[in-house]
Amino acid sequence: MLIPTLRKEIQLLRRDPRVLVRLIVLPVLFIAIFGYVFNTDNSKQHEARPITVWNGAGGNGELITRALDASQMFAVVPAATARAVEDQVAGHQTAVGLIVPPDFDPMHGHPATLLLDPREPPQVAGPLRGAVVGVVTRAVLREAALPDVVAVRAPIGATSTLDELSSAFQLTVPGNAVLFGFFIALTCALSFAEERRSGTWRRLLASPVSTWQLLFAKLVPYIALGTLQVGLLFAIGAFGFGMPIGGSLPALAVLTVGVACSATALGLLIASLSSTEKQISSLGSVLIMIMGLVGGAMFPRALMPHVMQQVGLFVPHGWALDGYYQLIVGKGTGFADVAKPIAAVYGFAVLFTVIGVRRFRFDQ
Amino acid sequence: MNRDNAGPGQNGAAASDAVLELVGLGKDYGARTAVQAIDLVIRRGEIFGLLGPNGAGKTTTISMACGVVPPSRGTARIAGHDIRSDAFAAKRAIGLVPQDLALYDDLSPRQNLAFFGQLYGLTGAELARRIDWALGVAGLGDRAGDLVKTFSGGMKRRLNLAAGLIHQPTLLVLDEPTVGVDPQSRRHIFDSIRALQARGMTILYTSHYMEEVEELCDRVAIMDAGAVVASGTLAELRAQHGAGGLEVEIDGDGDAIAAAAAAAAPLGGTRTGAVLRFEPRPAYAPALAAIEATGAQIKRIGAQRADLETVFLALTGRGLRDA
Ligand SMILES: Nc1ncnc2c1ncn2[C@@H]1O[C@H](COP(=O)(O)OP(=O)(O)O)[C@@H](O)[C@H]1O
Ligand SMILES: [Mg+2]
Repeated sequence: MLIPTLRKEIQLLRRDPRVLVRLIVLPVLFIAIFGYVFNTDNSKQHEARPITVWNGAGGNGELITRALDASQMFAVVPAATARAVEDQVAGHQTAVGLIVPPDFDPMHGHPATLLLDPREPPQVAGPLRGAVVGVVTRAVLREAALPDVVAVRAPIGATSTLDELSSAFQLTVPGNAVLFGFFIALTCALSFAEERRSGTWRRLLASPVSTWQLLFAKLVPYIALGTLQVGLLFAIGAFGFGMPIGGSLPALAVLTVGVACSATALGLLIASLSSTEKQISSLGSVLIMIMGLVGGAMFPRALMPHVMQQVGLFVPHGWALDGYYQLIVGKGTGFADVAKPIAAVYGFAVLFTVIGVRRFRFDQ
Repeated sequence: MNRDNAGPGQNGAAASDAVLELVGLGKDYGARTAVQAIDLVIRRGEIFGLLGPNGAGKTTTISMACGVVPPSRGTARIAGHDIRSDAFAAKRAIGLVPQDLALYDDLSPRQNLAFFGQLYGLTGAELARRIDWALGVAGLGDRAGDLVKTFSGGMKRRLNLAAGLIHQPTLLVLDEPTVGVDPQSRRHIFDSIRALQARGMTILYTSHYMEEVEELCDRVAIMDAGAVVASGTLAELRAQHGAGGLEVEIDGDGDAIAAAAAAAAPLGGTRTGAVLRFEPRPAYAPALAAIEATGAQIKRIGAQRADLETVFLALTGRGLRDA
């Protein structure tokens, strides 16, 4: 019963190119577009700020330029003369310039000179000035063993997994995989409606197969298809777009099967709430889009206001993405770390199935 | 009303001869009763006709007998197996050909038949053999690999029949299998049904076309408004309800004339359009005189045709078509 139904559903789906578009082509397109959009943004933000430097002091000056480069905040652009630095800053070609004079000797009243573009507002000029002064001072006084006035570290707890993000694809691949993974619900619900419309459901009911077997055999192919789809999207993300996966792959697989289960169960639920293909198409796609939006598949929940973050936990998408982000962004994440998201996703599958089976009209 | 008289006790048939037994089978949809309480026995090897106008409850009755719709009351046994307590054995014995085409349009006939056959546990060489046989019965051997959606209505109807046959059931149930088909396909379906009967298959044939039932069936039950109003062989039904009456075609105000005739002589008359029908009586003269007295013109007087249409009319007061 299971194998023949699986074969039949696959034969039917192969005839419908819309399914392939909805399940694979569209999500890959979305992953690529959003991935590249966010990636460009990131690289711009992470670009070091150019600082024009004339070093007239030889070895001491080199200490300074090396420290500036090493800070990753600045990229040193060497100038030929002190005058050139002056001209570039005055001409707004660069926001910061540094002149290290030949008689550079800060201990004896001969400091380097920092030039700041007067057009920069204080909230830019201030940190710039502080940063350059800090780096230069530390470089010059490296051996003087100054006591730390301010100790710096990352905050305890409350770190988002997204803080460790190393590629925008770590956001767009799970997001779109979950968003489009749930479209299997639509495909599944439509197949129930088609079975009813064509009258084949009646034939199935007349055959010596229990309604439970019937339901099971109808659902399993979509769980398999959903797992394959989401798995394929992750594979495309990893190999096609270079998305690093930091955590456990088996845990990722178990979570993915859970996502496919709850998506398929949602399909049964949608099929039990509406009977015509039109109803299912409209109700289903709106429902899936809203659930995706609320669950953070289009915009990460971590960046939403607190209340919206909580609302996202009322749909399986929110939990699934929590799990995926931890497994993909967090390094060395294992089963134990994602036990809650995995349990939640399977819980939703059970919930949808129970409601769906209760409401489903078998004898039609 | 003449309740079912096709019980196994009559005509000396043994109960073990019964392939389908319906006892008090009925269905309510909310407050509306689709089927009241049907008693029916179909014997091994016969073609049994279930005749009735649209909405009479034929499909609902069949659906209950096949285990597709749970009955509100009564029981159904197929080849001795109760459809509820012994559902799988009962369902294995029955082959349903639904009224609406029940096929996967995006699959080929071979793929359709393979899937339906597998539902009945057929596999491998046996399945392949049955598919070829069923395709042969449907006359679709040369189109076995094409997609069903490219087929004509008649071809789909024939494949629909083949899909109900794949597991070679004891009882084949056909629900209006000729709706919307070309005469050629209809002929093919009729020939197939006779050939299947010759192989020993029992057939329940549902239709609202009395010509089909008259041509094909050994015994008939007539359904109206959720109940069987008469059943028996064609000859029995004609003898009891049809033959011998008088048909008078008139020209004039039908209602007034019929009322005048009925007042003059209570002959149990019915009327459809310009035709008045009277049950067999020794004397029709008072009624005819009353008709002529209204000033109406009698265009034709004749013996009533002894067909199922007449039987249905006699039983319900309506034609099959306008019921
Ligand atoms: N699922 C259903 N829900 C409500 N009423 C139904 C349903 N199926 C059939 N009926 C009603 O039952 C009656 C008998 O229908 P049906 O068995 O299809 O008649 P037939 O096959 O003789 O045309 C009709 O009045 C029909 O409207
Ligand atoms: Mg019907």
